[in-house]
Amino acid sequence: MREITLSQAVNEALAEEMRRDETVFIIGEDVAEAGTPFKVLAGLVEEFGTERVIDTPIAEPGFMGLAVGAAMTGARPVVDLMFGDFLFLIMDQLCNQAAKTHYMSGGKLTVPLVLRTNLGATRRSAAQHSQSLHALVAHIPGLKVAMPSSAYEAKGLMKTAIRDNNPVVIFEDKLMYQEKAPVPEEEFLIPFGEANVKREGTDITLIGTSSMVQVCEKAAEILAKEGISAEVVDPRTIVPLDEATLLASARKTSRVIVVDEGHQSYGVTAEIASRINEKAFYHLDAPVLRMGALDVPVPFSPALEDITVPTPEGVAEKARMLVAGEMIHAA
Amino acid sequence: MPLDVIMPALGMAQESGVIVAWHKQPGDAVAEGDVLFEVETDKATMEVEAQGAGFLTGVVASDGDQVPVGDVIARITDTADEPAEAPQPKDDTGAAQPATDDLPEGQTVIMPTLGMAQDSGLLVAWMVEPGAKVDADDPLFEVETDKSTVEVPAGVSGYLAAQLAEAGEDVPTGQVIAIISAEAPAQTVTRSAKGAAPAAKAPEPQAAPKETKAKPAAKLESPKARQTSDPTGRILASPKARRLALEQGLDLYRLVAAGVSQPFHASDIETLAAMPDEVAAPAGAAAAASLHLTADIPAEGFTAFMAWATETAGMTDGAAVMAGLAGRCLDKASAVVAVEAFGQRRLFDVPGPYLSAVTPVDDATPNLILRDLRATRISGLHLGGEDAPVLSLTTSGTGLTLTLEAAQGQITPAATLSLLGDFAGRMEQPLRHLL
Repeated sequence: MREITLSQAVNEALAEEMRRDETVFIIGEDVAEAGTPFKVLAGLVEEFGTERVIDTPIAEPGFMGLAVGAAMTGARPVVDLMFGDFLFLIMDQLCNQAAKTHYMSGGKLTVPLVLRTNLGATRRSAAQHSQSLHALVAHIPGLKVAMPSSAYEAKGLMKTAIRDNNPVVIFEDKLMYQEKAPVPEEEFLIPFGEANVKREGTDITLIGTSSMVQVCEKAAEILAKEGISAEVVDPRTIVPLDEATLLASARKTSRVIVVDEGHQSYGVTAEIASRINEKAFYHLDAPVLRMGALDVPVPFSPALEDITVPTPEGVAEKARMLVAGEMIHAA
Repeated sequence: MPLDVIMPALGMAQESGVIVAWHKQPGDAVAEGDVLFEVETDKATMEVEAQGAGFLTGVVASDGDQVPVGDVIARITDTADEPAEAPQPKDDTGAAQPATDDLPEGQTVIMPTLGMAQDSGLLVAWMVEPGAKVDADDPLFEVETDKSTVEVPAGVSGYLAAQLAEAGEDVPTGQVIAIISAEAPAQTVTRSAKGAAPAAKAPEPQAAPKETKAKPAAKLESPKARQTSDPTGRILASPKARRLALEQGLDLYRLVAAGVSQPFHASDIETLAAMPDEVAAPAGAAAAASLHLTADIPAEGFTAFMAWATETAGMTDGAAVMAGLAGRCLDKASAVVAVEAFGQRRLFDVPGPYLSAVTPVDDATPNLILRDLRATRISGLHLGGEDAPVLSLTTSGTGLTLTLEAAQGQITPAATLSLLGDFAGRMEQPLRHLL
C-alpha cells in the first residue's frame, strides 16, 4: 500500500469531501494561499477557489461564529483553528452554541461543523502554542472528539466528521504532519466510537490517544524484548468512546496504563482509567495508571519541555512495575 | 524478703477464686513447688504451688473463702513466727496493705491474664493520672496481648496512688502494676516495671491448650520487590486475585501463612491453587496430623536423683535438670529446651552432657518443649505439636506418664520413638545419664 503523510491524508480527505459535497467549505486563518503554517491545505484553494477556501482576519471568535451560523443554515463548514491553544477564544461559539443548538432547538436545527485543530508539545512553541486541550471539549455534551494517531486515521476520521450532522472537533498532533503511514487509495471511512487494537498482547494494555499511540507502540517494542507482551489500543475517538473494546482488553491483560498528552489532572487519562476501574475492577491485577503531561505550563526550554510529556521509556518503566506486581502509589 | 501469696488469675474472665482447701497450715515449712492450696474457679479446680521456700504465715483466707484475683492471702516468710505485718483481707472498703516498703498503701492491681497462653501484657497506656480519683468501673489502663487490646477497669474505687509500670512496658501477668488507695495519697509513686521485684506470679491454667499458630511452612519468596505486610493487618490482594480466590474457593490466608509476600496477584492464586493440603492447612489440621506417643515410668527415680543432686552437687533447679536430660535425647550436639510449668516458660541451653553446664537463656528458639504438668491433675492430653516437639510430664498413680507430641514433618516417626524411649530411660534412672 502507498504511504502518505498525515498532512497529505487530511488534504485528500478534505478534497474528496469537497468534491463529493459542494456545501463543504474551509474557513480560517492562512488557509488559502498559505495552506496553513503546516502546509496541510496546500493546493486546495487552487482547486476549489476562495469561495470555498476562505481566509479570515485574525479573529477566531468571528469566523467560528460565522461557521456555526452557516452550519445551522445548511452548509458544512470545516473550521481551521491554527493552534489548539486558541480554543479558549471560541469557547462560547463552540460550547454554548454549536454543542447545544440541536438540543435547544428540539432537534429542528443541526450544526454539521468540523473544527480542525491541533495539539502536542515538544515543538519549542512555548506555553501558548503547545497545549493539548482536547479534554476541555470532550467534557461538553454535544461535541464529538476525534484524535487520529496516524495518516490513515486522519483521513478516515476526517471524512466521517464532515458527514456527521453534529459538531466534531478533530485534534491532529502537529508533530505528526510529516509522518507517513499506509493509506489506501480507494475511499474509506472510519466510524466514530470504534477503537483500534493496534497491537495484540497479553500482559498489559497500553491505551494511547493521538501521538501517544506511537509512544505506546514503541514502549511495547521495548517490553517485547524483555518478554512482556503489551497490547496497544487506540480509542480513535474519545467522544464517543469505545468502552467495550477498552474493557475487553483490560479484562484480558488485567493491567492498564492510559497515556495521553493532555495534562494529567482532570484529564482524558483519568476518565478512561476511571471507567476501567468501575467496570473491570474484578479483573484488575494492578491499579490502572494514568500517564499524562505534567501539570505545568509547557516550558519553552527544550530540555524541560521534553520531560513534560510521556515517553516510550517512561511508559515501559511503569509497565514493568505493574507486571512485576510492585506496589505503585501505595499508601 | 517475704513472698506474697496471691489469689492467681486462672481464667480469662475470672474475678475471684474459692479456696477449696489449704494443703499447708500456718507456720508450716514450705519448699518451692509445694502445693499450698487448691482453688476453684468457674472453670476448674487447680492446685497452687509455692513460688519460694520459707514458712507459711499471715494466712488471711480460710477454706471456702471467695477471694478476688490478685489479693494477697498469705505470705511465705523466712521464719515461722515472723511478725505479721499480716496482709489484711480485702473488702470493698479497701483495707490497705503494704505492697513494698516505699510504696503507698492500698489495694494492688495486677497485670491480668487475658488469654490462655499469655504470660505478659503490653501496657499500652494509663487512662488515669497518678493521684486521680478512680471508680471501680473506670478503665484504669489499656493492655495489649498478642490477640487484642483491652481496657482494664480499676476493680476498686479509690485514688491511683502508684503506677508501677510505664506505658509501653511488657509486664508479666500477675505482677502488681498499680496501687489504689482508699484515701487521697499524700504522694504518688510512678516508676517502671523493670527493677521492681515481681510481686507475685499468677499461675496459669495448665489444662489450657496452648494456642497454636499457623507458622510459615515454606518461604515462597518471589524475586520481585514487594511490601511484605500491611500494618492494618488486612490482606493485600489485587481485585483479580480476590475474585479468582473466591471463584475457586481458595483461602488467601494460606498464602499469608506460607509467607508469600503481599500484595497477592493473580499469579499468586496459581501458587495457592497448587499448594498441597498439608502446607496450606491451618493449625487445626496440622495438629490432627501430628505424632502422639506416650510412655509410663515410675516417679521415684527422678525424685531420688534430684534429692541426691541437690545434696551432692547443689543442683536445686529441677527444671534445669530435666532440660539437661531431655536435651541429650535429641540428636544434636547442643540444644535449647523450653520448660513450661505453672504458666511460665523458661529456656535452657543444653550445651553438652554435663547437667551442671545447663544454663538458663533469655531468648532462643527451643528445639524441644518440656511441659511439666506433674503438679496438676491432668492425666492425659492430646494437644498436638507446637513450634517444636513437646514432651509433657503428667502424674499417673504413683508414676509418671511422658507424652511426646510433634507436628507432622517436624521430626520423623523413628526419631520420636528414640527420643521418647531415651528420655523415659533417663527420667526413670537419671544416673544412667551420667554414665
